[in-house]
Amino acid sequence: MKRKGLRFYLRIYFKILAQDIKSKMSYRADFIISTLGMIFTNIAGFVSFWILFRSFPDIKGWSYHEMLFLYGFSLISLTPVQCLFDNNWSLRSYVYSGDFIKYCFRPINLFFYYQSEVFDIKGLGQLAFGIGTLVYSWNKIGLACTPLMILKIVVFLITASLIMIALQNAAAATCFWIQNSFYILDLAYRFRDYAKYPVTIFSSVFKFIFTFLMPIAFIAYYPSLVILRPDDVPILTWLSPIIGCLFFYVSYKIWMYGALKYNGTGS
Amino acid sequence: MKIKKYLTLTRAGIIESLQFRLSMLVMVIGNLLYLIVIYFLWKAIYASADSDVVNGMTFSDTLIYLVLATALFNFMEMYTVWQIGRDIQSGKIVLDLVKPIDYRRYIFWSFSGSFVTNFLFTFLPTFIVVTAVTHGAIHMGLNLLYFVVSVVLAIMINYSIDFIVATICLYTESIWGINMMKQVIVLLLSGATVPLAFFPDTLRNVVDHLPFQAIYNAPLTLLLDGDPDMKDVCITLGTQLAWCVGMFIVSKLFWKCSIKQITVNGG
Amino acid sequence: MKEIIRINHITKEFKVLNRREGLKGSIKDLFSRDYKIVRAVDDISMSIQQGEIVGYLGPNGAGKSTTIKMMTGVLEPTSGEILVDGNVPYKNRSKNAQNIGVVFGQRSQLWWALPLIESFRLLKDVYQIEDKQYNSIIELYKSLVDIEPLLHKPVRQMSLGQRTLSDILAAFLHDPKIVFLDEPTIGLDVSMKAKIRKLISALNKEKNTTVILTTHDMGDVDALCRRIVIIDKGKMLYDNDIEHLKSFFGSYRTLKIRVDGDLKAQSEVIQKEVPDFAVSADDEWISILVDEDKKKVMDVLNQIQSSHSIKDMKLEEISSEDVIRKIYEEGVE
Repeated sequence: MKRKGLRFYLRIYFKILAQDIKSKMSYRADFIISTLGMIFTNIAGFVSFWILFRSFPDIKGWSYHEMLFLYGFSLISLTPVQCLFDNNWSLRSYVYSGDFIKYCFRPINLFFYYQSEVFDIKGLGQLAFGIGTLVYSWNKIGLACTPLMILKIVVFLITASLIMIALQNAAAATCFWIQNSFYILDLAYRFRDYAKYPVTIFSSVFKFIFTFLMPIAFIAYYPSLVILRPDDVPILTWLSPIIGCLFFYVSYKIWMYGALKYNGTGS
Repeated sequence: MKIKKYLTLTRAGIIESLQFRLSMLVMVIGNLLYLIVIYFLWKAIYASADSDVVNGMTFSDTLIYLVLATALFNFMEMYTVWQIGRDIQSGKIVLDLVKPIDYRRYIFWSFSGSFVTNFLFTFLPTFIVVTAVTHGAIHMGLNLLYFVVSVVLAIMINYSIDFIVATICLYTESIWGINMMKQVIVLLLSGATVPLAFFPDTLRNVVDHLPFQAIYNAPLTLLLDGDPDMKDVCITLGTQLAWCVGMFIVSKLFWKCSIKQITVNGG
Repeated sequence: MKEIIRINHITKEFKVLNRREGLKGSIKDLFSRDYKIVRAVDDISMSIQQGEIVGYLGPNGAGKSTTIKMMTGVLEPTSGEILVDGNVPYKNRSKNAQNIGVVFGQRSQLWWALPLIESFRLLKDVYQIEDKQYNSIIELYKSLVDIEPLLHKPVRQMSLGQRTLSDILAAFLHDPKIVFLDEPTIGLDVSMKAKIRKLISALNKEKNTTVILTTHDMGDVDALCRRIVIIDKGKMLYDNDIEHLKSFFGSYRTLKIRVDGDLKAQSEVIQKEVPDFAVSADDEWISILVDEDKKKVMDVLNQIQSSHSIKDMKLEEISSEDVIRKIYEEGVE
């Protein structure tokens, strides 16, 4: 048997992806409405943000535009999980109905095969929103635009994405043990809404929780410090790329462990 | 007895939701974390404001308002749209339509069980915690009664809206997008994310003429008002009742027409 | 012949939750739960040779699917050993997957929204099938079934029969050594069943692929399998040639007669006359299951004729279905 390297997986991924997009387009109404839904979600998020800051000039020393930066940053870092790992949402029903077993018979990585099946184009709208917001606030704050800054922001965006993906994987994987795990996934999903606030507003206990136990502070806050507060960057921020990879790896292991343990109860 | 067959559905729903004890634990924990985030966020917001009262609301007013709005959301959101949407897609709806029970009512009463458990396990604990934390900022008097009446009306309005949205699924075959749009619109325009008092005047004016504010804003305003003016109470409840009847008729007619469409065209 | 699957004393146990009944029970379950151990597969051993078609039979819940899941590497046995083409399936699932193909009657493994040909192309990449091999198997498919109209149709628009056919073709695409077919003909009409059986048989001959078939349809077994394995409640009841099984029960024949009067009442009278054999009646016939080792059918007929006037009669050979039902009910002594 031939070795299955990165190139093998990339080739398969793009083939499946192309097919998936093609077939998505064939459900036109659903595609349009889902895209609209996504746009609505972002507009609504933006509006509530705006309403909030209309009454308050700043929050604990974070100005409107800095908060906007965090907001844009979190939107971009949530895009990969939305686009590439959307099939996690269906995991529960596959496991519940026993249909999950059909993924178990292929000679490729189970996690990869499962996630590759769905690519959610709607997430790209969110990406556009996020980039728009980020660029706007970047200008308003008057940040420099050097290659180093760009590099920093790209690295930390990837980090933040990895952490969000890890959270979602772990939450989705609970369905291998718990029957009605939709709530857990939904909870993880809702928590991303809070990723856009600076973790300094919390008391030290919850700072700890949101840093280590439920690491949503890494989705926007810690990475953004590199750009917004370059003189005051905690060591955790510099560690966050490693932490991101670690979290992702752990979540992958949990997912796979669950999937292999899963015994296809529906026969 | 007619009511008995509905209560059977309620009982079955309670049993079903009790089976998932872990999901209930998750619900309680998730709720708690959610409340904590809201608490700290608004504490920080108020700490940065110039005065204790912003837009006519104190910190504890806002906190109670938002926390209870979330709790109400959790206990009212029954994921009916998902359920009906899935029934439509799988064709199972045909089976339900031939049952000797009105489909609209059938779904409502099937979900009424999770209603009871959600009320006991999410709303009540939240309510108690909030009362304790805010040291009796909630006035214990007639307003509680108004609140309960108002919540019952809110549930019915919410259900009618859900049902209208679900009926749209008959045409679009899209569940995710529609449900997303509904959820976002309802949450924002009903005041569940940011209290309506914070809305700018023009927006407030528009929102006041939509049914959504009758879901969360109306009961919560009644609850927070320690010294209710009879006239205001009557106006609020009257408006709710009007929306309730109106939405009920619209959803019923819309459903009837749509079902006819299905049976004529053979789905 | 080469041994392709070797199973030694495998057992699989599951932990099952005991749920209490009623509202009170549900509330109790909330706070304490008790589990019981269920043995789904109990000490099963067998050896399967390259190119065999084995019918794997048993009533619902007998442990068939569990055994198959263990052979495909999805489940790990609680104890015992499985070797599939020299591999331990659950330890090296990916490698094992390259050797096997799986079809579940009701669950398509194809990409739901894609035309069949696109699914095939994806599978070609996933299984790393060489162009030459891929083209030759597509040619083979074209010679066996009329797949042209299916190739460009999305799977979700296919009828159940077309979908099953496509799933079977997909399972054989990478030229696996073993194909597991789980109730491939369930829910299909007679002509589609025949088509599918013909296809399976042709692919087995052409490629010398080992086929393991679970089914409740004796037509599948009679058309395809020379060897059958029967399990019930996790235990193996029978593993041998289907011919052997028939010859074992071969001395049994069913004598059906019609007499004057109420058939139910008459059957009870006849039962007293031939106490050695089981007599039963339905709306049309009185059936007597005769063991010819004890008494010839003609003698039984003569004996009954002496006291009843027989209006009509027929003789039925025992079918595999009867045999298997008999084994489920009584076991092989």
